[in-house]
Amino acid sequence: MAIYTLTKIDNGYNSYKQIIELYQTHKDTFFDTIDIHLDQWFGANMAAVLGGVLDLFIDNMNTINLFIENSETKNVLMRNGFLSHYGYERVIDDRHSTIEYLKIKPTDGRFFNSYIIDEFINRSEMPEMTGALKKKIAESIYELFVNAKDHSGTKFIYTCGQVFPVKNKIEFTIADTGKGFQRVVNDALLTNFTAGQAIKWAIKDRNTTKNDITGGIGLAILHEFIKLNKGRLQIISGNGFYEFDEEGERIHKFPYDFPGSYINVSIRTDDDSSYALKEEIDSNDLF
Amino acid sequence: METIELKIYNIVGNQLCIEAEDGQKVYTLIKKGFVEGKKIILSFQNVSMITTAFLNTAIGQLYRDYTEEKIKSSLEVVNIDQDDVRRIKRVTDTAKAFYKDREGQLKKSISEILGEGNDD
Repeated sequence: MAIYTLTKIDNGYNSYKQIIELYQTHKDTFFDTIDIHLDQWFGANMAAVLGGVLDLFIDNMNTINLFIENSETKNVLMRNGFLSHYGYERVIDDRHSTIEYLKIKPTDGRFFNSYIIDEFINRSEMPEMTGALKKKIAESIYELFVNAKDHSGTKFIYTCGQVFPVKNKIEFTIADTGKGFQRVVNDALLTNFTAGQAIKWAIKDRNTTKNDITGGIGLAILHEFIKLNKGRLQIISGNGFYEFDEEGERIHKFPYDFPGSYINVSIRTDDDSSYALKEEIDSNDLF
Repeated sequence: METIELKIYNIVGNQLCIEAEDGQKVYTLIKKGFVEGKKIILSFQNVSMITTAFLNTAIGQLYRDYTEEKIKSSLEVVNIDQDDVRRIKRVTDTAKAFYKDREGQLKKSISEILGEGNDD
C-alpha cells in the first residue's frame, strides 16, 4: 500500500506541481492500493485535474482511496460529485455554488451541451451577470471542449468548477489526459518547441496544427475574452505552465511532465463590458 | 440564380452549433447547392451559440474549394446576431489567409515563437 498527501491545493503553480509529483510517483505502480490524503484545502475545480490523473492510476488496476480531514473540503467535493467516483455518497448541492464534476467521452458532445445549459445558461442561482457575459463564458467553454476533443486524442474529458458569489468570480477547469500541446504541435509542425513554447504558439490567433481545414481561433478568442474580462487563464501541459492575467503573461517549467492538458479559467462575474462590436459588420461583407 | 435556404437549426438538430462534425454536414449541403449553381442562404434562426470549430468546417473550408468571388456571390447569412456575424467574419478572414499561403503563415508563426526565445 502507498500513501500520498496533497496539501493546500489551489490554482497556483505549487499546487499543480504537487499533482504532477503524485503522478510521477505512481505512474508505474500496478495492482496496488494508493491512499491519498487531501490535507487542508482542495480547490473544487482542481478535481478535474486530479480526476484525470487518478483515472490513469485506475487504468493500471490500482485501488484509490481518498481521505479528507477538512470538513469544508469534503463537503464541497461531495456536493460537486467528485467524491462519488471514489466511494462516497453523492449529496445535493444545497449551497448552489458548485459546477458539477463531469467525466465524459469526447464523443459525448450532446451530453456536454446539456451540462453547460444546466450548469451555466439556465442556472438561476448564478451571480448576476449580463447576458453578453454569460454567452461569452459558455462559448469559451465550448471552444475548450472542442479543442480537447479534436486535438488531444484523450479517452475522457474532465470538467469541474466553482462559483464564488462574494468574490464575484467563477473558476472552471477542463482537463484531458491526451497527447498534450507539445506533442500535438511538434508532431504537426516538425518543430522542437518546449511545452511552454508550444502553448504560446497554440494560443496565437490563426495558428493551427491542421493542414486542410482552418482553425486556431478558439484559444485566441478565449485569450482575448479573459483579457477584456480581467480574469485569469492557466494552461498546463507536459512540463509547461502558462499563466495570463492582468499582470501579463508568465511561463514556468515543472520538473516533470503532466499527462495531457489542463486549462483553468477564472472569470469575473461583475464584469459589465458589453462585448459588443464598436462597428457593425455588414453581413453582405462577410465573405 | 435559384436560391435555397438551409436552416442550420434543423441541420444540426440543436440550438448549439458546437462541433466540427455538425459544421461538416452544413458544408456538404452548401457544396451540393454550389455544384448545381444555386445560391445558398444560411438561416441561423433559433441558433443560440456557434463555435469557430463549427464555422471552420461549415464555411471556412469553402475557401479551399471556391474563389472568394464565387462564395461572395453564392452565399448569404440571415437571422444572425452581430456577435456571431463577427465570429463568421473572423473565420472567413482566417480561411482566406490560410488557403492563400499556408506554408508562409506557418513559417512566420514558428519564427515568431523561436524569436521570443525559450522563456521556460
